[in-house]
Order: sequence, then structure tokens, then C-alpha cells
Amino acid sequence: MQIFRPGADTIAKVLLASCGAAPILLVGLAYGIMSSPYATGQDVTRNQPIPFSHQHHVGGLGLDCRYCHTSVEKARFAGLPPTETCMTCHSQLWTNAGMLAPVRASLAKDEPIAWQRVNKLPDYVYFDHSIHVAKGVGCTSCHGAVDQMPLMRQAAPLTMQWCIDCHRAPEKALRPREAVFDTGWSPAKNQEQLGRELMAKYHIRVDHLTDCSVCHR
Amino acid sequence: MSQVDELPVKRVSRVARPELDRRQALSFLAAGVASGLAACSRPDEQIIPYVRMPDRLVPGEPLKFATTLALSGYGRGVLVSSVDGRPIKVEGNPKHPASLGATDVFMEAAVLSLYDPDRSRTTLHEGAIAPAEAFRAAVLGQNRLLKQRSGEGLRLVTGRVSSPTLLRQIDDLLGQFPKAAWHAYDPADDGSARAGAMLAYGRDIETVPHLARARVVIALGADPLGHGPDQLRSARGFAERRQPQNEGFSRFYCLEAAPTLTGAKADHRLALRPAIIGEVALAIAKSLGAAVRDAAVPDHLKELVRKISADLNSSPGSAIVLAGRTLSAEAHAVVHWINARLNAPVDLIDPVGRTPAGRQPQALDELVRDLKGGGVDQLVTLGVNPVYDAPADLNFSDASRKAPFRLHAGCYADETAELSNWHVPLSHPLEAWSDLRSIDGTASLVQPLIRPLYRSHTEHEYIALLTNGDMASPRDLVRRTWQAQAGADFETWWTRALHDGVIAGSAADPLRPAEPKLPQMPEPRAASEFQVVLQPDPSIWDGSFANNAWLQECPKPLTKQVWGNALALNPEDARQLGVSVGEVISIRSGGATIEAPVLVEPSAALGVGCLTLGYGRHRAGAIGNGIGCDATRLRTTKNPWTIAEAVITRTGRNQEPLTTQNIVRASDYVSELYPVRKVAVAARTLSAPEAERPPSLLPEAPPRSGDGNAWAMVIDTSVCIGCNACVVACQAENNVPVVGPEEVARGRDMHWLRVDAYDHGTATNPALGFQPVPCMHCEHAPCEPVCPVAASVHDSEGLNAQVYNRCIGTRFCEANCPYKVRRFNFRGYADGQEYANLGFESYLAQKNPEVTVRARGVMEKCTYCVQRISSARRAAERDDRTIGTDEVRTACQNACPTGAIVFGDLNQDGSSVNGRKSDPRHYALLGHLDTRPRTTYLADVRNPPTGGDGK
Repeated sequence: MQIFRPGADTIAKVLLASCGAAPILLVGLAYGIMSSPYATGQDVTRNQPIPFSHQHHVGGLGLDCRYCHTSVEKARFAGLPPTETCMTCHSQLWTNAGMLAPVRASLAKDEPIAWQRVNKLPDYVYFDHSIHVAKGVGCTSCHGAVDQMPLMRQAAPLTMQWCIDCHRAPEKALRPREAVFDTGWSPAKNQEQLGRELMAKYHIRVDHLTDCSVCHR
Repeated sequence: MSQVDELPVKRVSRVARPELDRRQALSFLAAGVASGLAACSRPDEQIIPYVRMPDRLVPGEPLKFATTLALSGYGRGVLVSSVDGRPIKVEGNPKHPASLGATDVFMEAAVLSLYDPDRSRTTLHEGAIAPAEAFRAAVLGQNRLLKQRSGEGLRLVTGRVSSPTLLRQIDDLLGQFPKAAWHAYDPADDGSARAGAMLAYGRDIETVPHLARARVVIALGADPLGHGPDQLRSARGFAERRQPQNEGFSRFYCLEAAPTLTGAKADHRLALRPAIIGEVALAIAKSLGAAVRDAAVPDHLKELVRKISADLNSSPGSAIVLAGRTLSAEAHAVVHWINARLNAPVDLIDPVGRTPAGRQPQALDELVRDLKGGGVDQLVTLGVNPVYDAPADLNFSDASRKAPFRLHAGCYADETAELSNWHVPLSHPLEAWSDLRSIDGTASLVQPLIRPLYRSHTEHEYIALLTNGDMASPRDLVRRTWQAQAGADFETWWTRALHDGVIAGSAADPLRPAEPKLPQMPEPRAASEFQVVLQPDPSIWDGSFANNAWLQECPKPLTKQVWGNALALNPEDARQLGVSVGEVISIRSGGATIEAPVLVEPSAALGVGCLTLGYGRHRAGAIGNGIGCDATRLRTTKNPWTIAEAVITRTGRNQEPLTTQNIVRASDYVSELYPVRKVAVAARTLSAPEAERPPSLLPEAPPRSGDGNAWAMVIDTSVCIGCNACVVACQAENNVPVVGPEEVARGRDMHWLRVDAYDHGTATNPALGFQPVPCMHCEHAPCEPVCPVAASVHDSEGLNAQVYNRCIGTRFCEANCPYKVRRFNFRGYADGQEYANLGFESYLAQKNPEVTVRARGVMEKCTYCVQRISSARRAAERDDRTIGTDEVRTACQNACPTGAIVFGDLNQDGSSVNGRKSDPRHYALLGHLDTRPRTTYLADVRNPPTGGDGK
């Protein structure tokens, strides 16, 4: 008498195949999830207490990045502007705008504005803005087309793979120091050659850039 | 004797188990999975900028400010790094003569006690929190009473005051209240030194020795290289004369009762009873022509006395004799005579601590006499803890109760605060405006690095309140003190003084007193009873640092003991008393009995036990309470340092003293690991030729970086004095956690840098040498190939890097390291499972933001201060230049007072580390293993007395 149904064979074969395929699929799924915007936060626009528009201020008015992010050339944090910086203009422009009420309140009550962090690296990564800026890595190379963002979003995945790709071949993304804060810059046709020239000029050596201790210490 | 703390056990309430059916269970499972998935996404984080950003503050970048920190009232200049308004690291001020750019353990640890949650925060009245207004009203009430009586009944007790501002204020106070009195005392004070100066010169004189100018130094119970306010200056002077390639290599003799750092570094050392050391001083004086009685020196020492005298005579103008705490006042006077006769390189100066009007503080025993007689109505203790550390025969706690109004101002609500009506919090030195003088009289300003964290005030404000009923601004007070000094342009002078951290030209001028008188030394009693010699503790000094976790866990240099003190006995004494290591004995002297565990210490003198002060407190705070035994109970006013006729009895109990157990005594290990050369041959290379390199699977040379930096370190063991400043500096710089006594007992101490001690002497004549051991950063690192996840990797600049986020805690690397320099976080020592209250929020402020705080299960080790290397490289690259020669200085290198540690780039011509690598004394630790360490050593050098083969 038959113990097994006719389809039992098929079930057994499918199960066996999946024993081999399942780990690979699971790993693929995990990899997919971890490199997806869900985990990396790429292109996720975050809500801010005040809907500050880089598109208007940088793209429209032409403010330089350093007007607000003042320590980007000196320190590892680029810095967020204090309320005072906003009020340098907005004490005279749009002084009664409803959208700017939280800014005025912050200054009046001496309470800082709590911005939501958009670009975030894990705590075990040490990142220094000033050295990147000094060596010809432009703001928009990593932060994307900020001058076209009505609300800030993280333009790059900021995964280690993404960072290492550039650390291994910086010539793909380098620009002259004068153009670092230029939001309209884009790589030229002979970027690799120009990049190599810049690497020689700015003394960039790749061998140390891929040491673990550069970022993980 | 208190037991070691038990592990804290968390009591968890029982959770009621719900009744679940299949449906509910499945839905919970789904919810769990869903929430788990949600956890994979990035959590939200806020960035909070300023409203108004302070000038010059760059977020995350440190600013350095010069200030001064005191030990026993004497100031040592420091440069403190402050990040985002929080002081995090103390370094020495190269311009200040008392620190010369170095630090000692107390200065390094000061930054931790700033954030101590056990610090006193509010006014206390009879032990309960009281409003500050009530305190003010009480003081004003007392003020009114005092004004009517010209201050009769007011007694002010302070520590040693060297602050010109505070001295001026005390003058004002005593001018306002003429019948009041001021008493000062210091538990670590050498009373017989002052008495000796009075006998010799008829006045109070401070001796400032210049070891850099001395070719022969005789230390009679003195410890210039040991911990103390003058350690840094003396250590630098010592190191300057210990370069074998230079002329004038010094010779140190040390005769001492208790083992000290000076004894360890001396070329010739003897452990003797204190009375005999006094007789040796007399014998030396007699041999130089003094009209004194014959010294009662035992026969076996007569030859030594002859050698010493010959040595002293052969170095005119560069021989010096130093007298220590265990010598009598007469012996101190005799030593003054000897130094004057030899034209020794000492400066005799007026001691700091006299007010502008010439007032001097009175002694503590006069205060206790007045207290007992009922003549004291207001007792004000400012920044001192006499109930704990005054000599026990004074019975200060009972005497102080006689005064109806007792005010205590202190950083902690300590034993004295317990007995006071009013306790007010004192600002920490890093929060205060003040000024200080060092031993040689150099004045420097104290400026705050941070606003007072709690409602505390400085001593200046409390004295002003007492004097005028009004708290003046301490900054204004200090400015007023120096206004006269500064001349026309005060603001420029003030800014320069604050910037430099030292007031130029303020060192005291050397006096030229008359020929010192020779007193008649009383005949020594034939002492045969057991004695106990007390010393200030090399980790917690006189007890004021008892609540500092770094210092409690800092191994004492000569015994490597942590978290407690013990009676150190000579092995022969231990045998005679029938005690062994770990037994608890009781010490009875003059009616007081204390209990202490035993440590066997071959360097101790026969018949003399050694014990350190500062332990046995019950109101130090969560860290310091109940640790060790209180040696102060044995101290008397007449004999604060030598306890005669101590009776030792066994109690039958055991308490193993906790040690980090790295003193190597086996002679074949010592000769291999810690070579010592005689100075005559030190200039020659080690005779054994370089052994052929064994075959290895690793690449011949490490990968070279494009920048071409090859970092290396050379440690000169001949000048390392074992002070542990490097150990605590590394802990401060790299966020190294404290693990607590239970974990240290399991061998899990976390110090990245340890100082090993090697006994290169004989059984009867031990001689300790110190060898700091950081990570060797081996070119053929054994720890690298064994890591399964490549968390231990080699950098292109020669560093062995530990990547914390890759580490899964296999611990294979630690097992494979032959130097055992790797440390594993068995528990979350810095991350959720801190010892005692070290997880308190305020301690987070001390952490260095440049260095990761490691979680549980992660391996860590010395990184050659990679954050400093990186910082220097980035600064250089921003300026488009290469890193300067010797520009990068590791934390341990900066802390070292003798310059034993040198770090630098091997690829840079003219770097100091290159100079040392080509020194004939150079050797690699365990070099035969072919690990090719980048951290190497220079062999120790000793200078035996002429005519012998050097005992």
C-alpha cells in the first residue's frame, strides 16, 4: 500500500533544492535589504522642524555652503548654523512669515532648533570633512544636487562600499579646490586624467586611504 | 577590614506569564518579526546647533588652556584640552618649571574627579540639603557675633596655602578679626624638614635641590623621584644626568627604610632602619670635618660611609645630600650643614605660604588644644579633611565637636563634613579662578575650563563671605592681587600670564643664609622592636584622591597593588612573624590598632614594615569607601612617619591583596627581558650578534605607504622611574575603562600600557627596574594571522590596527600575542556594565570624542595614539606640508617627566626615534621570536661605586 501521495516526490525534490537555494536567497535578501534605501536612508526626505529649502537658498539665492556650514574646512563636522545665522537675514527679510516663526521663537527663548539628521554615518566610522574638502572632494559629489532639493535628503547610500569605491579610485570624483563648493560642477569627459593630475598636485596616495585605521579607530 | 565588594545582583520582578493560544502566539510572532524588520532601518537622530555660537569654538576641535593644578598646595602648570567646552585631558605646560611639559598621575586624574557624581553639589545643614540663603544668613549671623568680639573664637583651618590671592585674603580676614587664628596642615608634610631648617638656620627655609647639576646624590630616606609636588622637576633633572654618552653620568646612593622609586633607580641602595640612616648622616658629616659625636654606624656600613664621603669629596659643587621624612629634625640640620660644606647645588628659599603681612599659619595641635579648652566657637575647615587625615593622637573628631559652629567647605561631603553643621561645596580646580605657587616659588594663574557644574564656590569666595559678608568674584580678587605686580599695562600682562600659564620671573630668589649650625644629635636608642614606616600613597596620595577610579586602579609602582594598601614586610620578617602573603595582621601601636593584609617585599628593610596612607575611608564616595586600611590611626603628631614599637599579630583571616602581578624576579627571565649595563660599557653595542632571522611565511617588510611614515617608539628604561603617569595618561586619552576590584582579581585589568618591574639585583639586595609595555606594533604581528574576521590588521604606516566593529571576540589574538598587551572587554566596562557608579552620565563628558568607546566583547589595545597621528596628518595635509619632525607625540610620551618614551617616524631623517634606534643600548623585547616589534627599548644603565663590582 502506498504511504506517500503522488506529489510526495515533487515535494521532496523541491525541499532539497530549497535547502541549497534558501541560504543563498536569504543572504541575497539580507544584502538587498541592507543596501536598500530602507536601511541606508538614501533618498529618504526627512521632516524638519522648519522646512528649510536648500533649493531656494543655495540654488535660488546662491548662498555658498560655507555661509552656514562654517567648520567644513577646519574640522571634521561641517557644522549646522546657529539660529543667529538664520536671523542675519531673516531679522530683515520675511520678518513676520509664519514659516519662520520657530526660528524667531528659538532666538527669543534661547532654545536651539532640533534638526533631524539626514546624512548619518554609523558611530564606528570616523569621518573628517575638512580633509576631503582640502583634497578636492566637492560637497555635491557626496551630498548630491543640494541646490535642487526643496527638502534635504541623503543623496548617496553612504555604505562602506560606496566610500571605498572612491578611496580606491579618487580620480573619478576629484575636482580642483576652487570648484569644491560649486554646486553646478560635473565631471568632465576626461575626468580620470584630470583626476590623476589633481591627485599628483594634491599629494593624494591611495595606499594609505584603504587602511582600516583611517576610518575605524 | 572590609571585604572586597560583592558583585551587584539585580533583582528582577517576576513577569506574569500570559495564557496564550495558537492564534495569539502566531500574531505575537508576526509582530515580533515586523518590529525586528523596523529595527533594521536607520533610527532617527537629531542635530542640535547653538542659538548663538561662541566665538572661536569649532565643534569637535579641542582648545587648549593653561592653568595650574595643586598637590599638597604646591602648583604645577598644565595645559588642559577642552572639547566643546568640556575639559577632557590634562597635559603638562612646557613653560612651567614645576611640570616642564610632563604630568604625574594626580594631574592626569584631576579631569576624572571633575565629573565625579559623588562630588558635593549643594549646601548641607546637619546633613540635609539646605538653601544657600540659609547658609548665607547663618554666616552673616556668625559674622555679627565675631565683629563684636574682634574675631575671638574663630579658627580657620586650611591645607598648605600657596595662593597669593588666598594669602592676601587671609590677611584681610585676620586684619578684620585680630583675635581669630589661622591653622594650616598637610598630611604629606615633612615636619622634621622645617624643624631641621629652624635648628640649622634659625628660620624656616625651603630646600630646592637641582638634580640636573648634581653628579653624586645621596638620598637619606629622601625620595626626589617619588610622587610629590616636586617629582616632575626632580625626575627631569635626574634624567638629564643619566645619558651614558654624556660626561658626568650621575651616581645615586639611596639609604631608605621603605622602598621608594628613588631606591629602585639608585645605583647603590640599602634598606636600613630610620635611626641608622640618621647615624649615617652624622658619620658623613663627621668625615667632612663636623664637630659632632661619633656616629653609631654598624660595622658593615663603615665601608659604605667611606665610599660615600670619598665620592662627595671628589665632586665639589656637584654633590648633594637629601634628607627625607623618616629622619629626625637634628639629622635634617646635619644634612643642611653637609650641603653647605659641599657647596651643593641646592637653592635655599623662603617657603611659600606666608601672607603679605608676614603671617604664618599655626599648627594643628594648637587648634586642638584651643578646641578642648572651649576657646573655639567657629571652626571653618576649608578644603581639608582633618577628621580623616589629622594625626590620630589629636582625636580631631571629638575635639571639633566642642565648637558650636562648624563649617566645612570641600569638594566632597567627607568625614569632616559629616561632623560639621554646615557643609558647602567647593569648586573643583578645573572650575575655579585662583593662583598658585610651586615649591620654587614660581607663581601661575588658575583659570576655569568650565563653569562650575554644581552650586559650588571657590575658597576665595567663602573667605570673602566670612570676612565681609559678601562673596566677591574670584576673578576680580585674583586680578587685584596681581595689579600691583603687573605695572602699567595690566591687561596685556594678564592675557600673557593666562596664555603662558606661568608668571615670568616669579620664582623665589635664593637666600644666602649664614653658616648652618650643627645641632647635637641625641644618641640613638638601641631599637630592636618592629617599626612601621608610613608613606603617602603613590596612587591616592593622602586620601584626597580616594574616590578617583583611575587612581584606585593604578598599580603601585613597587608592589603593583591596586584597590587597597597592604603592609609590606621583608621576607625574613614575614618568616619570623609566621605570616605569608594575603594574611590579615593587626598592627598595634600606642593604643591604636589597625588591620592590614600582608605583602612580602624583599626591598623592605629588616624590622621595618611599610604602609601607605590614604585608605580606609568611609565617606569618600562610591569608589573609595571601605577600600584598604586607615594608616592615619597610627600617626601621632610627634611621629607622623615612623611608628615605633609596632606590635604585629595574626588575626587568622585572609585577604589577598589585589596585584596586577607583573614583577619578575627569576634571574634568567630578568637578564633576557631587562638587560642592565654598567655605565662604563653602555656605549658599546650588545656583544651578541644579530641572530639569523628564522624563516617566516609573512612578507619580509610591511607594506610601505605613499606618505612614507613608519611609526615607531623607543622607551629608555634607564630613565623610566615607574611613576605611572604614562599609564593614567593613556587611560585618559583613550577612554580606557576601569574594571573594579573583582575583575582585576580575575586578571582582567584594562590598562593599555602597563609598567613591568624587573628585579635585577640579588636576593639580599633587590634592585627594581621599570619597563613600560605598550603594544609592540610588530611588523610580523602574531595577532594578525589568527583573527578569523580580520579585525587585527596591519596599517601601511606600521601600526597594528584593531578594528572594533569587526571584532567578534574570539580572543585568539590575545592568546597569540607573546607580549600580552591586548585587552578584552569581558563585560561592558564602558558600555552598560560599569563598575560602581562609573556609568553615571557626568563621566560621559570626560570621554575623548576622537576615540571609540568600546562595547562588550571587543578586543582593544594600544594604538600608538592613532587619533593623534591622524590629527597631525590631516592638519599637515590641509596646509599642504609633511608632518614635522617629532610633531606627533603620543599621550604616554607627553606625560613622561623623564622623556623615557620617544615616538616618531623612522622614515624621517633626524627624528628622535631614529637617534634612539641606533643607540648601542637598543634591544627588542623577545626579539628572538622574530615579531620585529616597532616598540623597542634602551637597556638600563647603572653606575656602581668605584672600587667594587657594584653591589
